[in-house]
Amino acid sequence: MSAGDERPTRRPNGATDVEGHETRNEGTTLPTLPGGLHAHAKSRTLWGDALRRLRKNRLAIVGLIWITVVLLMAVTADLWVPPTFGDPLAVNTTPGANLQPPSLEHPFGTDKLGRDVFSRVVYGARVSLTVGVLAVSISLAIGLLLGALSGYYGGFIDSLVMRSADVFFAFPYILFAIALIAVLGPSYRNVFIAIGILGWPSIARVFRSSILSVKETEYVDAARAMGASDLRIMFRHIMPNAIAPIIVYGTMSIGGAIITEAALSFLGMGVQPPTPSWGLMLSDAKSLMFGAPWLTIWPGFAILTTVLAFVLMGDGLRDALDVKMKD
Amino acid sequence: MTSLLEVNGLTTHFTTRDGIVKAVDGVSFRLDSGKTLAVVGESGSGKSVTALSIMRLVQEPQGKTVAGEVLFKGTDVLKMNEREVRDLRGDRVAMIFQDPMTSLNPVFKVGRQIGESLMLHKGMSRKQSFERAVELLDMVGIPHPRERAGDYPHQFSGGMRQRAMIAMALACDPDILIADEPTTALDVTIQAQILELMMEIQERTGTAIIMITHDLGVVADMADDVMVMYAGKQVEYGSADEVFYRPRHPYTWGLLDSLPRHDIDEKGALQPITGQPPSLIDVPSGCSFHPRCRYAQPVCSAEVPPLAEVSDRHCAACLFAADPEFVRGAPLPVAAGEGGAR
Repeated sequence: MSAGDERPTRRPNGATDVEGHETRNEGTTLPTLPGGLHAHAKSRTLWGDALRRLRKNRLAIVGLIWITVVLLMAVTADLWVPPTFGDPLAVNTTPGANLQPPSLEHPFGTDKLGRDVFSRVVYGARVSLTVGVLAVSISLAIGLLLGALSGYYGGFIDSLVMRSADVFFAFPYILFAIALIAVLGPSYRNVFIAIGILGWPSIARVFRSSILSVKETEYVDAARAMGASDLRIMFRHIMPNAIAPIIVYGTMSIGGAIITEAALSFLGMGVQPPTPSWGLMLSDAKSLMFGAPWLTIWPGFAILTTVLAFVLMGDGLRDALDVKMKD
Repeated sequence: MTSLLEVNGLTTHFTTRDGIVKAVDGVSFRLDSGKTLAVVGESGSGKSVTALSIMRLVQEPQGKTVAGEVLFKGTDVLKMNEREVRDLRGDRVAMIFQDPMTSLNPVFKVGRQIGESLMLHKGMSRKQSFERAVELLDMVGIPHPRERAGDYPHQFSGGMRQRAMIAMALACDPDILIADEPTTALDVTIQAQILELMMEIQERTGTAIIMITHDLGVVADMADDVMVMYAGKQVEYGSADEVFYRPRHPYTWGLLDSLPRHDIDEKGALQPITGQPPSLIDVPSGCSFHPRCRYAQPVCSAEVPPLAEVSDRHCAACLFAADPEFVRGAPLPVAAGEGGAR
């Protein structure tokens, strides 16, 4: 607009005058904004940033290390545990071989059937970790799909999914698990199936609310205005922004699933003897709690530390994955 | 000659629990290449919904464009299938959003985001699109564009993000750029820079701009045409000169009077428009502005004023717009107390 000076009403904004002329005179190179002046750090990836923040969180690292140790022990158990400490299933009926207190030969002692407790705890980790991971995988598979449909499409689908989730929430958790296993039959496989099925409503809810909040953002509108298709918006724009709470929740859920497995096995509804499971070991030892405390202490310790490790890890991830967290 | 964009009788309704919201009610305008149309009005006057309706971005099923046509180079956008509309969006018609802090996706690098529409519409590879993004960032005045293209949005300041948004919108050389209050969320100084940038780009690329704003200062600097909206309707539409110097609608007068003016050494209070914008569910009868109009006459509540031509390239929707005595600053009519006091 020329002749701006003759048109007072056209420039009610003082700054338009001052700044406007200033910038115009400079042609294409507009003044550098303050943001351009800061020492420019090497650009990193989002996940790289997250990892760096995670590394600074000591508790999360402790959790991660402990999970790694337990995992490594469980995976490599076949190589070193039976030759050194004895087969976890080998019953030793020699008089005096059972209920031995911890010693060099049996660092965690032996149980009433003369089996090495350390060996059983290590093999128990296999059960716990597998159940934890598989159960959460099942929950994720169902929960993510339903949560995504529910959050993205809303309306009738949303009501259907969320009301079904409410039905699941309406039952006491452990009781529901026991009922499910009573129907499926108690076994190793059915334990994680039951825990997995019971876990989906929470995952679906978390994912749905996460998607709902991301869906309303302007960058999703912007993506739509750019001509992106539904699928592209869903997977490229919404998912990456909505997945962080799921990573956190999923990690913590593994801990939860391990506890549930232990509880179910303790009640006799889970892993069946003689398979070593931490819950089952506690159950077997409950009458000997005072006579042979090592029988309860070590499986208990294993449950406590492993679950805690997953929770700490999840907590650390929550902070690490928050893009807005300044380091 | 067909215009680049011709909108006729555009009507968009939202269905809510309380009733039907007539967010846009029979809006018509045309836009030619290289021109700027400013859409002005209070919050809730239907400016943004008009823009969204043009791009068919109104969220269904709550919102629906129920009538009218949007002719883009002679083809009705409202009759296109989903695929054709997607090809139009971002490629031929691009949009800049109000809040640069939230309109960039936090998990993508800026360069990648700018390049996305190029990959989508021009079939460029990731590498090509990134190169082009660097050029675009340079064009919108981001220093060290190559390094900055690898940054995440949170590493950008507000003004830089809005520049990045503009770069994103310009990626495919759109014919029309719709800017929905592009400067509202920015500092005054940055606002001026962004507006300068947009004008510069328009000069260079010849893109048409639809500028949605409630800031008449912005309009004055940029617009060729001005459309004033009130309660979903056009109340005045014409060239910027006509609307600014010979406004014919009392609502436009009210908007102009409520501006702070630094050219006049006057310590007087600002003149607000009294009352509240009407609910769009229950629009007042007759002229929807009459309850707030200082000049309202009994007839105003009975008769809906048509958008009538008052002079060449200038229309106003007021029953008295044709009356030569009825101009901005005219003495209040005797019966004014009736309408104004409400």
